[in-house]
Amino acid sequence: MAKEMLLPKDPRYLKYPLEAPFDQEKARWIAFNCSRCSVCKWVNSWQVKSAKYARICPQHTKYLYDSHSGQGKCDLALAIIDGKMKWGDDPEIKDILFQCTMCGGCDAMDKNIRDAELVKMYRWMRAEYIKEMGPLPEHKPMLDSLKQYDNVWLQPRMKRNSWTKELKDLGIKDLNKEKAEVLLFAGCTYGLSEELKGTVVNIAKILKKVGVDFGTLGDKELCCGSPAEKTGNLAEYERLGTANIKKFNEMGVKIVLTPCAGCYGTMRVAYEELPEKMNFEVLHVTEYLERLTNDKKIKFKKEVPVTVTWHDPCHMGRMGRPYVPGKDLLGVYEEPRNILKSIPGVELVEMERIREYAWCCGGGGGAFSGFKDFAQWTARERIEEAKDTGASMIVTSCPWCETNLRAGGIGMEEKMEIVDLFDLMMQAL
Amino acid sequence: MTAKAKNDDRHQQILNAFQSAIGADNVRDNPATVNAYFGDFLPPKILGMSMPPEFVVLPNGTMEVQAIIKICNRYKIPFIPVGSNQWSLTGSPNRPHTVIIDCKRMGKIHEIDEKNMYAVVEPLCTLAQMQAEAYKRGLYIGSPEASATASCIGGHVFQGMWGVGYRLGVAYRNILGVEWVLPNGEILRTGSFSQDADNGFWGEGPGPDLRGMLRGYAGAMGGVGMVTKMAVKLHPYPGPKVWPVEGMIPNQTSVLPEDRFKWYMVKYESLEDAVNFMYEVGRAEIAGVIQKWPTVYYIMWWSNSCEQYWTEWQKRTFQDNVKNAVGVCLWGFSSGKQLEYEKRVLEDIIKETGGKPVKQEVQDMWVPRQANNWIRDTHGSRMMRASGTFLALRLQTDTLKYAIDHVRQGYEWVDKFSPPILDSDGPDWIGGYDFGHFGFGETDFPVEKTPEAIGDLMGKLLEMTKQDVQNGLENGIGPFLGGVYHAMAGPVFGYDRLLKGIKKAIDPNVVSNPPHNFPIEN
Ligand code: SF4
Ligand code: SF4
Repeated sequence: MAKEMLLPKDPRYLKYPLEAPFDQEKARWIAFNCSRCSVCKWVNSWQVKSAKYARICPQHTKYLYDSHSGQGKCDLALAIIDGKMKWGDDPEIKDILFQCTMCGGCDAMDKNIRDAELVKMYRWMRAEYIKEMGPLPEHKPMLDSLKQYDNVWLQPRMKRNSWTKELKDLGIKDLNKEKAEVLLFAGCTYGLSEELKGTVVNIAKILKKVGVDFGTLGDKELCCGSPAEKTGNLAEYERLGTANIKKFNEMGVKIVLTPCAGCYGTMRVAYEELPEKMNFEVLHVTEYLERLTNDKKIKFKKEVPVTVTWHDPCHMGRMGRPYVPGKDLLGVYEEPRNILKSIPGVELVEMERIREYAWCCGGGGGAFSGFKDFAQWTARERIEEAKDTGASMIVTSCPWCETNLRAGGIGMEEKMEIVDLFDLMMQAL
Repeated sequence: MTAKAKNDDRHQQILNAFQSAIGADNVRDNPATVNAYFGDFLPPKILGMSMPPEFVVLPNGTMEVQAIIKICNRYKIPFIPVGSNQWSLTGSPNRPHTVIIDCKRMGKIHEIDEKNMYAVVEPLCTLAQMQAEAYKRGLYIGSPEASATASCIGGHVFQGMWGVGYRLGVAYRNILGVEWVLPNGEILRTGSFSQDADNGFWGEGPGPDLRGMLRGYAGAMGGVGMVTKMAVKLHPYPGPKVWPVEGMIPNQTSVLPEDRFKWYMVKYESLEDAVNFMYEVGRAEIAGVIQKWPTVYYIMWWSNSCEQYWTEWQKRTFQDNVKNAVGVCLWGFSSGKQLEYEKRVLEDIIKETGGKPVKQEVQDMWVPRQANNWIRDTHGSRMMRASGTFLALRLQTDTLKYAIDHVRQGYEWVDKFSPPILDSDGPDWIGGYDFGHFGFGETDFPVEKTPEAIGDLMGKLLEMTKQDVQNGLENGIGPFLGGVYHAMAGPVFGYDRLLKGIKKAIDPNVVSNPPHNFPIEN
């Protein structure tokens, strides 16, 4: 008779405990099983195309010590959970935890060699840190703003409506009063930034032009909760996330469309973990518009002669889908590229680090407000990489990426245009 | 003054010395930073035998490394040089006051000489980086079993059993000029670096070839100082300038151009027949890679989740199809015609030796997803996915024929030690190198990562090793790395005197990662 197979006793080695709540036990499992392979510090070896662009982790590349990497955070989590260290033992713990842009570069590389969720572990660590040490002073204004105004930019609620004013003549539906299939969710940054709100206006114009039945929430739109979630302020995140889901369900919308990669990742992935269930689909505007472009509903008439490169926002790409061990790290990669390729005159050239192994812009995870120099250093690295392609323009579709890349580019000798995909589309329509 | 305060004074003095040598930003002693420098998947951390270092320092260049090592000598504190920090092996501090010399600021490729086919690198430069640069120039450098995330220098001094070692020589034979700071702080330049610090094209000399001091059977484990610059050989490469990859993590595939590369998976009735085939291929002087992987390797690299690993393992997909199978990759180094010629020769050999192709569906599962790992990157950390860790029973570096006895003996021990060893189907990795003139055998298996399982197994392995030593190490060398093992096993061949003599001469204060590579402390 064949001998019985000797399998691991711990069932978590037989199947990753994906469904288990993300608590201390789960964090310990991930941290304990770190093999210190350092894969989380580099682009997956098969994809390394040059010595220059071989790194994946902005934090580790800038700060060099292994403590400032995915591996180091595993070691830190283990030390804390096993009682060998306390959050308050070393002021550097704050930097190790919060400089990280939560970009998921490490997380994606790690998933190539084991079953784990590093970014979720970081989020758990941040939340635990905050319980003991309080929120970071650098993040306090953002948190206060969320609590008071339901947006991250310390702006009065009524201001949220300002971008829609430009669309008065278009007759965009107010979904607080009317019904529509599609909700266009602008997000705090597109909706409130003077510099960026033109993009969401352009999106609304494009949707209107092709006859999409959509509307907005005007000044009743709340933050998606992403900044609170990423910075570990989970109660605030849960308040906003739950309120949003309830509202969207009540409104009966079928699709929530957002142009912001941060909102997208949070609604598409993090909302899945909330008790409130979603009766709608979350799409990034690029996904929706690509469908319309393919159906020839959007026809580009003008030529835009320019060589561009596409920057993959992390939370639209590798962090844009719930994790399923063993399955592709899907995300919105092809859609924006397909749109770009369909614009007459546009030539798309690729950077070395793209899709699930893209280099982050540096602006995520609270680094933009908490560690500006580092965030902008990361952006400059990306701009360098973009320049090496020969492109004259970086196109992307995330207000954080755009803002941070622009900030990073200030003072760089050779300028690079940072343009939102929808603004470029508008030029061709 | 209390002992603690005295200790703190000393700590402060050392800190000041490091800071003035290499700058305050490049020295850390705070708990959160040093905590990231003492663990991995190996027994020392799991069993609580390793500890955080006292300092981590980031020198930039040979002179700064020299300054650090001189300070370590002055205060008689141990240092451990680390490369890209892929696993720590013997790089985890095992005693108090250790200094980790982390080379994060030393990642340059100084030179790639296309004509003379070599590159000069610093210790952080990984094999993956070097490979990418080499491919662009029609050149090639290999990948060890661990992964191309390994440091190029580290990969060359440590063992070096990479796939293409069959054709291009194992890694440590590809070392040319070396610049290295000895444990006593002296700078040693070997090969042509000894004449011209910018020129590494030549490996030997001056005088006796000192490169052997760096390698041993598994490197010097940081016991003979720190290499700060190395010239490594590059080889002709008939592949594309950018490594071909399809799909997305974790399901990527890679297929090299058919007119220059061809994988064969050939199955035999017995291990003897498989090894005979390896000999015949070597005799014909064809192929670029030849490996007889154990079934656990197939599943370790192929599976993309632990669920998939154990599900497929229980279905026996690999056990029933690749036992005694040999993977051969033919390379048309000079032309497509060479590949065509080698195909004809190989197919004749397969016929003559009674080989059968591995079932096509299994080849289709394995080859595009994992075979090329033996050319570019083995993604070695996949070995830990299914149980948290893996260990090896023994390694053997001798002839291919001898490897058979080695792994057979290995099965018996694996059986005896199961549990804690998990199901592993008689693990028998046999690699052919230098056209089959020498062979390598290793017995790797998964073990559950618990202190109990690992502690139990380590005790058993120690007993086995003692028996092995008594038997004159007939069946290969044990799983313990570096100094302690050298002290146990060295006397069998008398090489302990050599190692001890070298260590005493160059490390009088015993600061270079003691007890490696030979314990000379009392
Ligand atoms: S890739 Fe994963 S297992 Fe490897 S060092 Fe990083 S966190 Fe640890
Ligand atoms: S999330 Fe990004 S910045 Fe943070 S550790 Fe991972 S790769 Fe580095």
